Amino acid sequence: MRIAFLVALLAAAVFYSYTAFADLGFMTRTGRLGPGFFPRVIGVSAILITLWAILDELRSGRISRDGDARAWADVAMLMALAVGYALLIRLFGGMVATFVFLAVTLSILNRGQLVKNMMVATLVPAFVYLLFDWLLNANMPPALIELPI
Amino acid sequence: MDIFADLMMGLSVAITPINIVYLLIGALVGMIVGVIPGFGPSAGLAILLPVTFGMDPIGAIMMLAAIYYGAMYGGTITSILLNTPGESATVASTFDGFPLAKNGRAGPALVMQAVASFVGGTVGVILITILAPMFSQVSRSFGPPEYFLLAMMGMLTLLVMIGTNWKLGVISALIGFALGTVGVDLETGQGRYTFGSAELIGGIYFIPIAIGLFGLGELFYAFYGGLHRTGTGAIVQYDKEERFWPTAQDWISTRLTMARSSILGFVVGVIPGAGATIASLMAYSTERSVSKNPENFGKGEMAGLVAPETANNAASSGAMIPLLTLGIPGSASTAVLLAAFLLWGMRPGPLFMEQNPELAWGLIASMYLGNMALLAISIFAIPLFVQIIKVPYRILGPTVVVICALGTFSVNASFIEMFLMFGAGIVGFFMRLYGFSPAALVLALVLGPLAEEALRQTLTISRGSFMIFIERTPSLWILGITIALVAFLPLLNRLGGKTASSGDAEKAGS
Repeated sequence: MRIAFLVALLAAAVFYSYTAFADLGFMTRTGRLGPGFFPRVIGVSAILITLWAILDELRSGRISRDGDARAWADVAMLMALAVGYALLIRLFGGMVATFVFLAVTLSILNRGQLVKNMMVATLVPAFVYLLFDWLLNANMPPALIELPI
Repeated sequence: MDIFADLMMGLSVAITPINIVYLLIGALVGMIVGVIPGFGPSAGLAILLPVTFGMDPIGAIMMLAAIYYGAMYGGTITSILLNTPGESATVASTFDGFPLAKNGRAGPALVMQAVASFVGGTVGVILITILAPMFSQVSRSFGPPEYFLLAMMGMLTLLVMIGTNWKLGVISALIGFALGTVGVDLETGQGRYTFGSAELIGGIYFIPIAIGLFGLGELFYAFYGGLHRTGTGAIVQYDKEERFWPTAQDWISTRLTMARSSILGFVVGVIPGAGATIASLMAYSTERSVSKNPENFGKGEMAGLVAPETANNAASSGAMIPLLTLGIPGSASTAVLLAAFLLWGMRPGPLFMEQNPELAWGLIASMYLGNMALLAISIFAIPLFVQIIKVPYRILGPTVVVICALGTFSVNASFIEMFLMFGAGIVGFFMRLYGFSPAALVLALVLGPLAEEALRQTLTISRGSFMIFIERTPSLWILGITIALVAFLPLLNRLGGKTASSGDAEKAGS
């Protein structure tokens, strides 16, 4: 449903423009361009062009068919798992969350391959830990709740 | 002689054991990224940018550049063996690459694509070596008005190339511009769209958005397309053929093709927005029109594979010219490269080569070495890439999610940025699904703050008058070139589109 996406973008553009007009000055006291100049131009342009795109969509009379239900189910599942993974990282840190995410996701996507899935779920976090934490001295997400492991 | 001395200095910077290791890793990773369907150089660069944070800037930029042009080499392997382009710039390589493989000539096709890529890439780097200092000289007279116009030129040309969906492209660009306004306004110190969040004071960081849009967004889109269910399809068995190496006839018949396509690809690559995809399609079309046997195109003609391969690699090199000398990225991939430069506190532009000669010439010198390394890797590591193609998407997908998430977090140790990346991934999926342009969004996010700063400086200089844009000679030149490009690029686009559709038709017919 492209039109629904466009309407959501229009709502965002209206909110963005409202903030630009309400909170941000067009000019500074010294007569220079203020912080609201660019946002106002962007906001108004976004509203106009989005409205145009919505009208085009309505005029064309297309009823967009967004693939089959199976495709949507697959992508929705992966998105849900990814969002769940983001929350798990916040709670349990990078290592544990990655293992759990991979174990769960692979058990759904790659059924009947328990040994292979467990190997991937174990080796990938280990590799990532070695790469980021040990080799590159970069940050790995810390746990909010420490597990007794 | 100056250029030669600079190049030698660049080589001395590039040739250190650790830099060579970074270069080889970058080249290999770039090829792997190119091999994976759905992931192009911009996705590879965005996902792997955080990995380079612990490195020294020269090694890191060399590695990222190698990922960038390495992806062009890798993308063709799947075009030849699977009839599935690794990314859009290798679509034209399927027209004759796959028929060659089906005719029992996969080995020669793989070798010739590697050689063509090497020739295109190397000619491109030679032209960079000669032309980049000249571009730098010209752009030294540029001030804020010219920078604003250049940023607008970069955006306009990209939007023109989007074609019929231009309105959705403009909306994508406006989203990028809007995101670029978040944070403290540097001139007045006033917060914009921060909503009291301390994390947003510094603005919306480029990397989470790029990783989300190009990494997760593309992955979700691939899942939507069912790539995790269908698998990669049947791979042509190149190793059972009698003859792996090309014949003398292959070399002789394509030597002029390589010369023509190198120049064409480079010129198209320099134009912001045009890029490697258009270059490869144009080269294919040109080659067919000058060929004595145009009827063989689409049925396994070696020149039909060599032309797009040479052109897309030369175009990748050409795109480095506006990036290095003007600081204006012409594509999503070079926008990610620009972000990498900015991360290390370097601002590509007219004075870049003068102020950072070691880095600039080290990068150019590394591209010579990188192309040589890629030639060897892409011939001798074919079995490795075939194994990678065989890794099911249902295993690769979750692994990409992990790398995107942890890579984003590692940059600034920020959970907000990580959540932002997931959000950008979901939005990126819908943008791809509904015909919007994630590339325009990313380009606008990078160019927006630069354009705003330049415009405000310009109007301060001119005391609010927009006439400054036609009063300055360099500005007038840029305006003229922009108008010419906006008029000329749709023709290029149409030619590319025609080539793509006729290539598909021939394939369907053959």
